[in-house]
Amino acid sequence: MRVLLAEDDPILGDGLRAGLRQLGFQVDWVRDGLAAERELAGGAYAAAVLDLGLPLKDGLDVLRATRARSINTPVLVLTARDAVPDRITGLNLGADDYVVKPVDLHELAARLRSLVRRAGGQSQGILHGGGVSLDPSARQVLYDGVAVALSLREFDLLHALMLQPGRVMSREQLEHQLYSWGYEVDSNAIEVHIHHLRRKLHAGLIQTVRGVGYIMPKESGA
Amino acid sequence: MTRPVPRQWSLQRRLLLLVLGMVSALWVLAAGVTWYDARHELDELLDGHLAQAAALLVVQQAAGGDDDSIADAPSLHKYAPRVAFQVFHEGQLVMRSAGTQSAPLSPLNTGFATIRLADGNDWRIFGAKGAQNDVQVYVGEQIAARNEVLRAVLRSVLWPLLVALPLLALAVWWAVRRGLLPLRQLEGALHERQAGDLQPVALADMPSEMQAPVEALNGLVARLARMMESERRFTADGAHELRTPIAAIRAQAQVALGAGADTVQREHALQFTLAGCDRATRLVEQLLTLARVEAAPAANAAALDMAAVVRGVMADLAPAALARHQHLELDAGTGCLMTGDEVLMGVLVRNLLDNAIRYSPAHGQVRVQVAPEGGQLLLRVEDSGPGVDDEAMSRLGERFYRVLGQDQPGSGLGWSIVKRIALVSGAGVRVSRSAELGGLAVDLQWPLAATP
Repeated sequence: MRVLLAEDDPILGDGLRAGLRQLGFQVDWVRDGLAAERELAGGAYAAAVLDLGLPLKDGLDVLRATRARSINTPVLVLTARDAVPDRITGLNLGADDYVVKPVDLHELAARLRSLVRRAGGQSQGILHGGGVSLDPSARQVLYDGVAVALSLREFDLLHALMLQPGRVMSREQLEHQLYSWGYEVDSNAIEVHIHHLRRKLHAGLIQTVRGVGYIMPKESGA
Repeated sequence: MTRPVPRQWSLQRRLLLLVLGMVSALWVLAAGVTWYDARHELDELLDGHLAQAAALLVVQQAAGGDDDSIADAPSLHKYAPRVAFQVFHEGQLVMRSAGTQSAPLSPLNTGFATIRLADGNDWRIFGAKGAQNDVQVYVGEQIAARNEVLRAVLRSVLWPLLVALPLLALAVWWAVRRGLLPLRQLEGALHERQAGDLQPVALADMPSEMQAPVEALNGLVARLARMMESERRFTADGAHELRTPIAAIRAQAQVALGAGADTVQREHALQFTLAGCDRATRLVEQLLTLARVEAAPAANAAALDMAAVVRGVMADLAPAALARHQHLELDAGTGCLMTGDEVLMGVLVRNLLDNAIRYSPAHGQVRVQVAPEGGQLLLRVEDSGPGVDDEAMSRLGERFYRVLGQDQPGSGLGWSIVKRIALVSGAGVRVSRSAELGGLAVDLQWPLAATP
């Protein structure tokens, strides 16, 4: 899962990036409000962590501008301002969650997963589909009740597809979800991961829509 | 507030005593005038009666008293002993009042005289002669009788005063107390206030005499409110500013814990944890310094040599500059005397230099000049850092304001401290771009102190 981190403090930014990576996120880190707004407009992120006291453009202004463009990426506001009016303002401007510094990394990760889950219309933590169940926080996948070992990328790819069942995801969209900046992505990387997933789970789990992308069929029954 | 008032005095008591004192004095004066007036009138009236009585006796004797025996008039009234008369006919006493002496009452044959007689009392005597000079009449009245009348008059004037005085005191006390009611209401209102309540005192039905002091009080309250608001904001800002370094320390520590076998990541995270601690420490120190500077301005001002202060601070900071391969240079003139607190001046110079070193690049340059110039003492700190733009220059010194695009973890308080100390030490501050080094140039100027 790829998230945008907007934080101007060098030590905190570094810590959050490293910590979220340890917990299985792909993290892109920007240090000012204008960059945050630009990256959010790109729309490739499952969620964003937004500090309010950003240079160049305040976090609340970034949030306002982003929502004004109908970009609905879940945004978790991370801030030192804890007064109730600040929280209300933040939430009214379209923040999906409001967390006051300092924050536990595990809590931050859990809140991000919850935001992403809800944005995908799911309310349960564990995703189910095609006989497969996926637990994002434990990073565990069960097929017919048996644990299956997946690589980091395979897990993220399956996660991205299961979050949006019944929707076709293009190769570019999936690449954006999987890779943060600085990774050279092989042109057939997604194809390779899909192939592995079909082999490790079952062939009919992910379907290819030729020339468009991949889809995880919506559950018809149980 | 703690100094004891030497002698408490009460407005109420003072007003009461003044009013009662005045009333009594006026009343006594009035009584004096009445006494004098009554006495004059009474003397005239009674003297007239004496003369009338004498005339009556003269006429009666002249009409036909040929009897040579002495006639003693009977005493018919309790006041009789206080009046007396004698009638002489051709030198012979022919008639007298009861108990009156035989010798003539007065040495004067005619007219009034006040005499002490043999009975030991003072008498008012009127003498009169008949038309043929054969009749001599004396009529007298005791002075004491007159005085009794006067005393009665005076009593009638003073009695009411004695009775009225306590009543008047009560009335005045009540009136004064009622008049001072707004004062007590103000006292009560102030007394009941919570310590933090800095609303102005309501002026609605305040008497005009109290408007000015209450307005002054409200002015003071307003200043206090502004000060407390600034303190409150400072504390709140300070607490908020501490959240970020603490969040950073926590995040890095958690990363180190979660690094597992990745020793490189753990090492990195632990280094950053330490850096975060250092930054939080510095922020706390700066906050404390600022609080101290704001609480105790110009505590121990004395003549000091600024060049020595700068030299000391530079010696302290030189290792930091050398570690970054920066060139540190001091150009100190002689006679750099100014009046200030040595500790505060040290803090000021340290913050200026610390900023210059922090924001100058590695291999950069920091130059300090301290010298008398045109009757002023000039301190100039220049660096070869990026400098700041005009907008940022105007905002330097706002608490927690940090120039954008800095990777240096400053607290945003250094300039607040510099500006505060400059203010209390009477320095002019000018910030500009260094012509020679390209970075920030900060000029401070104080009046030179006289050479001892």
